Amino acid sequence: MSIQDPRPAGHPHVLALRLCTPDVAGRVGGKALGLGRLLEQAADVPPGFVVTTDAYRDWVAVRGLEPEMERLLDGATEPAAQEMASREIRALFAHAELPGALVEQIGRAYAELDREPDPLVAVRSSATAEDTAEASFAGQQETYLGVTGHESVARHIVECWASLFTAQAISYRRRLGLPVGGVAMAVLVQRMVAAEVSGVMLTLDPVTGDRSQIAIEAAFGLGLPVVGGELTPDRYSVDKVTLEVRSRAILTQPFADRLDPAAGGVRREALSDAEGGARCLSDEEVVRLATIGKRTERALGGPVDMEWAMGPGPDGGRHLYLLQARPETVWSVRVKEPVAPPATTAVDRMVSMMLGRKGGPR
Amino acid sequence: MATMTDRRRFPSPFETPAPPGAEGWESMYAPYILFSEENREWEESLFWFYDSLHRPEVEVPFDTIVHEAWFMAASANISRIFAVPAANGYASRILNGRLYTTPLPVSDAVLQERVPLYLRRAGHYFEHWGELYDHWTSKMEGVIAEMRAIEIPHLPTGQEDERVVLEGRGYSTGHRLLTAYEQIIQNVLLVYQYHFELLVLGYGAYLNLHQFCKQAFPGIGDQTVANLAAGADILLFRPDDEVKKLARRALDLGLADRLRTDRRPDQIVEELRKDPRGSEWVAALDAAKDPWFHYSTGTGLYHHERSWIDDLTVPWAALKGYMDRLERGETLDRPTGEILERRERLTTEYRALLTSADDRAAFDQNVELARTVAPYVENHNFYIEHRHHTHFWNKMRDIGDRMVENGLLEDRDDLFYLNRWDVGQALHDMVVSWSAYGAIPTRQRHWRSTISRRKEIIEVLRGWNPEPALGPMPPEINEPFMIMLYGLTTDRVAAWLDGAGEGATELRGVPASAGEVEGVARVIFSPDDIPSVEEGEILVCPITAPSWGPVFGRIKATVSDLGGIMCHAAIVSREYGLPAVVGTGRGTKMIRTGDRIRVDGNTGVVTVLP
Repeated sequence: MSIQDPRPAGHPHVLALRLCTPDVAGRVGGKALGLGRLLEQAADVPPGFVVTTDAYRDWVAVRGLEPEMERLLDGATEPAAQEMASREIRALFAHAELPGALVEQIGRAYAELDREPDPLVAVRSSATAEDTAEASFAGQQETYLGVTGHESVARHIVECWASLFTAQAISYRRRLGLPVGGVAMAVLVQRMVAAEVSGVMLTLDPVTGDRSQIAIEAAFGLGLPVVGGELTPDRYSVDKVTLEVRSRAILTQPFADRLDPAAGGVRREALSDAEGGARCLSDEEVVRLATIGKRTERALGGPVDMEWAMGPGPDGGRHLYLLQARPETVWSVRVKEPVAPPATTAVDRMVSMMLGRKGGPR
Repeated sequence: MATMTDRRRFPSPFETPAPPGAEGWESMYAPYILFSEENREWEESLFWFYDSLHRPEVEVPFDTIVHEAWFMAASANISRIFAVPAANGYASRILNGRLYTTPLPVSDAVLQERVPLYLRRAGHYFEHWGELYDHWTSKMEGVIAEMRAIEIPHLPTGQEDERVVLEGRGYSTGHRLLTAYEQIIQNVLLVYQYHFELLVLGYGAYLNLHQFCKQAFPGIGDQTVANLAAGADILLFRPDDEVKKLARRALDLGLADRLRTDRRPDQIVEELRKDPRGSEWVAALDAAKDPWFHYSTGTGLYHHERSWIDDLTVPWAALKGYMDRLERGETLDRPTGEILERRERLTTEYRALLTSADDRAAFDQNVELARTVAPYVENHNFYIEHRHHTHFWNKMRDIGDRMVENGLLEDRDDLFYLNRWDVGQALHDMVVSWSAYGAIPTRQRHWRSTISRRKEIIEVLRGWNPEPALGPMPPEINEPFMIMLYGLTTDRVAAWLDGAGEGATELRGVPASAGEVEGVARVIFSPDDIPSVEEGEILVCPITAPSWGPVFGRIKATVSDLGGIMCHAAIVSREYGLPAVVGTGRGTKMIRTGDRIRVDGNTGVVTVLP
């Protein structure tokens, strides 16, 4: 097998996000697929590309890593041995060069992410993100922020691959009787947004399951502290149908994580009470977000869970980017109790209402 | 947060003394509408709220008839005609000239007994709503025509006309006058029976949709639910629309400047009649008047609120305003097409969010029923409080004239200082005297001194600041009217107690029309004050009457003391796209004209800004 060109053209190992359509789902992973679907909706997604699972498999094959990996994993039945295997696989990966063609494709795709050279990117696994708990156990949650330069990007892609073999992941797969070695991972490389504000959006009320409401959480700076629970964000709720802002809870935020190109990464910055206590989003921005949430829900066919960021846009103004969209999995799968008992008339319901309310305040 | 264990109380009616100078106010009203030692235990056990929605003013004795007719009809409709399971109607009491009301609960046993009856009876009405509503409008036309036709005869100063003899009539004009008064009273009582014929059921249908939507979509706004059912073609807007048409017509005919002169409207009209173009416009005015100007400048529930037809000043002010706006190139049309389109879009989208076919079917039924009843709910006031009462108050003025002619009263409007039973007695006194060719003196001095003392008392009572409620906190409010019309919920009543402190800057009410604005408040208590409202101010009032139509073109938001999502202020504000918070309990007390306030029609919070 040739190192230079392991696959015919037309089946590339590096795919732009817009090419991440359902027919290549198995090769690009859930996260990239979600972003690809957002792009189909003409949403603003920061540019990015995916290094496919095939790229990983070919590299392992070409560099002949399999026998050594098998040897290391075979004996790894105890935690100490799993730790050891994990460390050695990481070292093995670090020394196994990527095929030249792949390096070239990555370099080209990376250069196309921005007009400026060496943009800051996030490198992360493109796990099927429906179940983050499982993905976390399976070692598919590695995220590297603020990566810059094509060599560093390539190195971090390999580190993502290595995260398939954390001690925890090995133990998890072994415990569930899953194949320990023959796994693969797609890696997503995406330009980072210098987010002024970022957050999450759920197209239903997470407390009541009310599908007529959209819940938005927002915080200053990058979104990781929100997702990671380090910050209590501002909360807004919007009626999905009328797009009225129904409630706002503004909290004081002590710090914000900023993208810092000069430092080549992320910097945590303290906020004064005035800065941290300000509203993260104007009503107009809240409605703009909700409108996109509503559209995305319609496109994906059910309630969605989204991540977003607002940062400098092409025109210099504050621009909204979508970072993630996946089906909501808590309320959507729950069998909803009927609001009205079946086969009753409106007058019957009127009576139950009066009787129901007799017992006590709702 | 109110709970079943909220043991706080509003003041007791028995511990609320008459304001100095108003002693003896009780004699103005019939004894059955007063708090009494005889029923003290029962009365003190109940929660009474100040019904400023219907009765924002001190009760002038005669005007109380409207409310008496109202609550008797409502109670009978609820508890004896339709057997509504959850309620027994209402009781009313007057304290220091203000009217307090309480919803009457039903025992659990009675409640269960009523269920099958209600299902059958209400079911019949809902099933045949269209024809019953048509039947209702023809009954209303009949009862209005009857009121108009009641003749209030002059008592001859000398002998009866010879026709009484030649036609073999056999009864006197005095008898006819007494009969006419009885007819007026019977007619008003009947009108209120009709008023409630469809209204309780109508509110039931609205509340049914409301409850369903709140269960399916806990976050949905009250005003959004109301919008699902609201019609766009509401009779109450028609008088205002007629004025808009007249404004256009005046511009087309080049009459704008002649209509703008400072003379009285009736003088201007006489002037216009003198030339063809002027006559053409006057003909259009005359055509619009009946029935569209049979339209009160207030709620129609008080004798002093004259209708447009009695005094053209209010429509004339609106007319000038509309001519100005047309000249500035503005369009005056209400976007009725857009309102209906929006209603359809909202309904379709909420429906699509329901996950089961059963829920969608129930939603469809509930929406359909609420829409079926909407025209009645939205239009009944125009027939009754506006059209009917225009004639009713004027017939009573005619009776006042007869009493002036016969020396009993000094001024015809003095009649309203006698309650409905007093008027019967005074008329009887007068007719007895007349029948004996004046040989029997009347109690003229008694009637006149009673009236002048009552005027003093009422003046003093106007200065009394009524408590929003009396008695204990209600354990729970679950009655459709209380919720839909008054905006009363247990939490809201508790907020009245919470907000009673000095220096409070935040009020909570019913979010009745969406949007948030800040602006300068204008607190007014009567439609007479509408001209003082300046462009872009926020209207703060006890209630708003729909006939304040023109004011809604000038204001930025509405805040009212009482009202729920179906009160007039709420309906009109939604129509005009203005934020509104109703049912604040104390808006007119806490807010002063000139205060900067923020009105949040999404959450129902009104804040006085520093």
